Amino acid sequence: MTNTNDPAELDEVHEADYEIESMPDETSTTDKSYSQGQLVLRRFFRHRGAMVSLTILVFITLLAFTSIGFGPIPGWWGKNHIDLYPIVEVAGAPTLTLWPFSLGEHPFGQTTIGKDYFALVMLGTQNSLAIAFTVGLAATLIGTFIGATAGYFRGLSEAFLMRVTDLFIIIPTLVLAAVLGRMAGNVGGIFALAGMLALVSWTGLARLVRGEVLSLREREFVAAARAVGTSPWRIIVRHILPNALGTIIVNATLLISSAILVETALSYLGFGVRPPNTSLGLLISENQNALSTRPWLFWWPGVFIVGIALVVNFIGDGLRDAFDPRQQMD
Amino acid sequence: MLKFIAKRLGISLAILVLGSLLLYVLVINSGDPLEDLRESNDPNRENRIRQRIENMGLNQPWYERYWDWLTGASKCLVGQCDLGTAVNGQSVNALVATAAASTLRLVVIASLAAIVIGVALGIITAIRQYSGFDYGVTLMAFMFFSLPVFWLGVLLKHYAAIEFNNWIVDAEFSWAVILGIAAVLAIVLQAAMGGDLKRRGITAGAMFGGVVAILFYFDMVTWFRHPALGIPVYILSVIGVAVLVIVMTSGFHNHRVRNAVAATAVVAIIGYVATRGFLMQGGSILLLLLLLVVAIGVAVAAGQLLGGFSRRQATFASIITSVLASLLAMADLLLSNWSQYLSEQPRPIPTIGSATPNYESTFWMMTIDALTHLVLPTVALMLISVASYTRYTRASMLDVLNQDYIRTARSKGISERKVITRHALRNSLIPLATIVAFDFAGLIGGAVITETVFGWQGMGNLFRTGLAAVDPAPVMAFYLVTGTAAVIMNMLADIAYAILDPRIAR
Amino acid sequence: MTTTPRFTGEQPVLKFDSLDVQFRTEFGSVHAVKGITLSVAPGEVMALVGESGSGKSVTATTALGLLPKSATIDGETFVTDKSIGTLGGRQLRAMRGNRVAMVFQEPMTALNPVITIGEQLTESMEVHGVAFGAEAWDRAVELLDAVGIPGAERRAKQFPHELSGGMRQRVVIAMALTCDPDVIIADEPTTALDVTVQADILDLLRSLKDKLNTGILLITHNMGVVADMADNVAVMFKGTIVERGPVEQVLLQPQHAYTKKLLAAVPRLGKGHGQFGVAPHPVEEGAQTALDVRDLVVEYHRAGKKPFRAVDGVSFDVHRGEIVGLVGESGSGKSTIGRALLGLIPSESGEVRVLDQDLLGIRGAQLKSLRRRIGVIFQDPAASLNPRFPIGDVIAEPLSVHKEGSAKEREARVHELLDAVHLPRTVYNRYPHELSGGQRQRVSIARALALSPDLLIADEPTSALDVSVQASVLAMFTELQREFGFACLFISHDLAVIDSLAHRVVVMQFGKIVEKGTREEVLLDPREEYTRRLLAAAPVPNPIEQRQRREARHELLRGFGDEVVEFDTRELDQGGWSKRSQD
Repeated sequence: MTNTNDPAELDEVHEADYEIESMPDETSTTDKSYSQGQLVLRRFFRHRGAMVSLTILVFITLLAFTSIGFGPIPGWWGKNHIDLYPIVEVAGAPTLTLWPFSLGEHPFGQTTIGKDYFALVMLGTQNSLAIAFTVGLAATLIGTFIGATAGYFRGLSEAFLMRVTDLFIIIPTLVLAAVLGRMAGNVGGIFALAGMLALVSWTGLARLVRGEVLSLREREFVAAARAVGTSPWRIIVRHILPNALGTIIVNATLLISSAILVETALSYLGFGVRPPNTSLGLLISENQNALSTRPWLFWWPGVFIVGIALVVNFIGDGLRDAFDPRQQMD
Repeated sequence: MLKFIAKRLGISLAILVLGSLLLYVLVINSGDPLEDLRESNDPNRENRIRQRIENMGLNQPWYERYWDWLTGASKCLVGQCDLGTAVNGQSVNALVATAAASTLRLVVIASLAAIVIGVALGIITAIRQYSGFDYGVTLMAFMFFSLPVFWLGVLLKHYAAIEFNNWIVDAEFSWAVILGIAAVLAIVLQAAMGGDLKRRGITAGAMFGGVVAILFYFDMVTWFRHPALGIPVYILSVIGVAVLVIVMTSGFHNHRVRNAVAATAVVAIIGYVATRGFLMQGGSILLLLLLLVVAIGVAVAAGQLLGGFSRRQATFASIITSVLASLLAMADLLLSNWSQYLSEQPRPIPTIGSATPNYESTFWMMTIDALTHLVLPTVALMLISVASYTRYTRASMLDVLNQDYIRTARSKGISERKVITRHALRNSLIPLATIVAFDFAGLIGGAVITETVFGWQGMGNLFRTGLAAVDPAPVMAFYLVTGTAAVIMNMLADIAYAILDPRIAR
Repeated sequence: MTTTPRFTGEQPVLKFDSLDVQFRTEFGSVHAVKGITLSVAPGEVMALVGESGSGKSVTATTALGLLPKSATIDGETFVTDKSIGTLGGRQLRAMRGNRVAMVFQEPMTALNPVITIGEQLTESMEVHGVAFGAEAWDRAVELLDAVGIPGAERRAKQFPHELSGGMRQRVVIAMALTCDPDVIIADEPTTALDVTVQADILDLLRSLKDKLNTGILLITHNMGVVADMADNVAVMFKGTIVERGPVEQVLLQPQHAYTKKLLAAVPRLGKGHGQFGVAPHPVEEGAQTALDVRDLVVEYHRAGKKPFRAVDGVSFDVHRGEIVGLVGESGSGKSTIGRALLGLIPSESGEVRVLDQDLLGIRGAQLKSLRRRIGVIFQDPAASLNPRFPIGDVIAEPLSVHKEGSAKEREARVHELLDAVHLPRTVYNRYPHELSGGQRQRVSIARALALSPDLLIADEPTSALDVSVQASVLAMFTELQREFGFACLFISHDLAVIDSLAHRVVVMQFGKIVEKGTREEVLLDPREEYTRRLLAAAPVPNPIEQRQRREARHELLRGFGDEVVEFDTRELDQGGWSKRSQD
């Protein structure tokens, strides 16, 4: 029994119910209040692994798009992926040196016929990134729409989702993607391929969104919104989806990393990006037998695939921790 | 429960048929099947084009072609499959017969290995949450998630196969390698076992010393060229397995379980000692399966007779013991034949194909040959699945460990080991049952890539070449086999689900 | 069956000595228990009373050494003569379940769903070497029988999901008894249960300590439960014990301001209106009917099964300015009625008229305009506010759905409403997670009143709140009802809460109305058997009165031909069960 025997003090403490209690962290000193979104961002920015990954991803993206240029816009790297250049080093080995840092003539080396491998890898990275982000965005939109309608209205759209899910248990995603990728190859263009990949990638996200919506729609704040006569779409857009944002964003990042792997795998099999355009998967496929003779031709595209997929996964992990602090890793 | 499974199976079969329609239509519209001929300069071009149109029935409408395929395929139900002919005139039936076995073997083994390893790692990382081991495994899982299978496959071919084959010629360790391996294993083991600093030190020290001693011994006798467990090591191993099973299930104070497991182990040892000489002469899959059934039969009998009140647990523990003992026996037989195999195949780990072409030898030689071909593709395929199983199990286990009933179990004074094995494990496996089905589909997709990397003439190859030639027959054959396998896998997962969760049974 | 403290001169079976617990959290450390000293003697029921966050459960959990690693513990906890802090893992486990056992709050989650009940019981016997195999199983069945589970033989082979909540709580109690512990810690053992089941479980626990001489540490927030069970009471507030003593003394002559405040906040059955200051206006003669429900039927459709009839032909009405209490236990269909009236679930048949408009018959814009005349307050203040909306938006949402006024006008209206529910206007930009439970419930009330509804449906609006917060919310609610004069359907399981504000009462059971009438008729002079059982089971925070009520209830049960639940030791004694059994 300590000094709390003073009745006046106790009453005071208890009357606190009538007053706003201060925020339980240091932000209470400033009179700023944080929305859930701001709290998530704060946690994300404090996640070291995710921030390092984000920096690397931004760096890779900038490097890929500025070096050789994008579409009609020229880049700062003087060479392109088509011309043949005289072989500089023995067998076209890389001229990149880290200490002292110097790119040299062909930093990633040259192919057997003398193409600049840096330009090729940059082009492949561009394509892989463009496809992955397009797939991520498109599949997230499709998946969120179908998942939300399936979870909220049940009925037809739910039955559709469940049967499509069953279908993907029987036809592996990669198989369907290969068939669609073969089709897209005739249409041409990486965005046709990206569209086809999006068509087979949304189911997982849709299932998760459906589950989330199913549980959110039973929450009392949704019941309260329905009770005052809020329209279903307003409930979905204003009340439910913002609360499912964590699931959506985290899985969108995972979609991106898996899209990179699927695209490179398809290109490797010959059903993705086709020559004369190139992709990281295609580069590996063309150079897989060069591992003992010209290892750089095999390593560079591989390192870029693994690097991109890895940092996207880490960003996803950081987002997960930020949205769900219970599972925090630090 | 039967109704539940029957319903799921019915839906799956309907989806199988619907999926075939979808895939068929997509495949025949995915490109121009005459492309290669149109571009050729063959003087006989027109004739060959006409011939191919005739062969593939390209002049028929798509629904008739699909119907033809469907009626042919549905005869499989009565054992008279007709899967059509490939574009080069080969019967797809013949192609499938050789391809299906090797692919399914690859996928099923990779799947099982991934489940066992992934679940085990997931449980350990969940128990040792936020430990060095947890971070290490998590980092590895992220690496595996981000690895393209085809890239990993090429690396494995180059480093694991070629380097290993070079090494096995004289199979010698340098001291640096011995110490390095021992140090790595010691660090991993102490991180996985946990405990305070002293306990970790003892674990690491014991592991280090043990590994150094064993590797030194192996090096001295060039064990890797002439390996064998032999009867004494087999006996010791089976006793070890029995002790482990008892500890993991009931603990030593439950006499009935203990006796049943011990009896099973004794029978297994006697049985193997008696049959080893005969088995070394040769065997067959049928014989081995028969012996396995006998072993399980013995285990069931031991559990039922000696289990008394704990009959169910005793039977379960005995079956585990007998299966593990059988696997050990199998390992011993294979290892005993290894030096013979090495003399016939001096570079044992192949990088191409699912079996050495035209290799005829004893049953054990052939088995080793098949296994050495399987090693690398399985590893490549498995690693990605292992990563996802590890993450899922970890998350599920952490979730379960936060449940009230785990607190109840702890408040009863149950040891942490039993809290995990008896209370948490089964509950945490329940959500995994649904993931198995999806993962299996992913593995089949992965098998297409893996077979390409390792040059297997399997189902994946059938699919890839078929699709490249816009030839539906081989693609649909691939679909039929893998789709059916997926349906079966899905059904097994449903059954596992119903067994794990009593709330499902209705 | 005595309520006088029984200091037998024996060693205490459980003793906390200057116990102090701190937790490290994301936001710094939390001082949960601040040096308390408390002991429990054999055969004594010591009640540890407090509101949420008082540290009472943390205190109890230290006795089992089950606090998470983030806790720093000072001081000592003794179970019999062993200090928990000094024990190693193995010794600690030897204590748990054996010398000290725990009964948890939530019977639905406290049992492992994949292990049979019998096995969960035999497990601790085998761990502590009390019994093995068939012998353990027989004891498990005997124990289930002793705690009053019919068909114990069969039940032991079942899984927890096959039992009702009350039955599961009996299993949890049986589990605590398996090794005949010296002390049982019961952490809110009846909070999750219906009032009639609660009375049975309390009877069981009481007969238990009488027959086994076990010490019981009873953790609860419910003063009625304290009055019914405890020999001695310790009142806990923010980590310290502010008052302690024999139950009569603490409950009838409280000394400390907090205890007084706490007791004053407990709604009392029979005290009627005005308990918390303001009484609702009497209903005017000939007031218009605000809600008229006729033969309402609501069914839940389940795949492959017969539809479950949750509400079966219910008729009642609510007049303008009137509060009608809808009472029942879980599964009675009372909340289903509320949800059906709000249009959240479809009604099968029947008629609902709100202000003379047919609620079930209309659609579209008409329905929407009728909806705005019905407000709603839900039970869980944490779940009923959208976590992504700042408070201002939460309250303004109904206004913007119905396109009421400009943004500026809405803001002014929100400020008015915040004043009305006694919240400072500064909460306008705060988020729900920054507010306490009571504050959040005020926000839901403000939101419900935003459109000045004629009818308010309040579904258990105070049952998730601490008792002192409940009192202030009820007082404010009554005040608002006087001011705005809305009709209200007040759904609750708590008869005393209904008694404090309702004009008329409707009692429900199994989807049907059992009894309805004015508050005085139903609560003071009930006609129906079920109402009488319900009223008799509700405990009051006065130990002397409660003892009489308890005996009266046993009388009543015998009159209905029921048995009074007690711990049946006959079979157990034959087996030489209890080493400390008294009779």
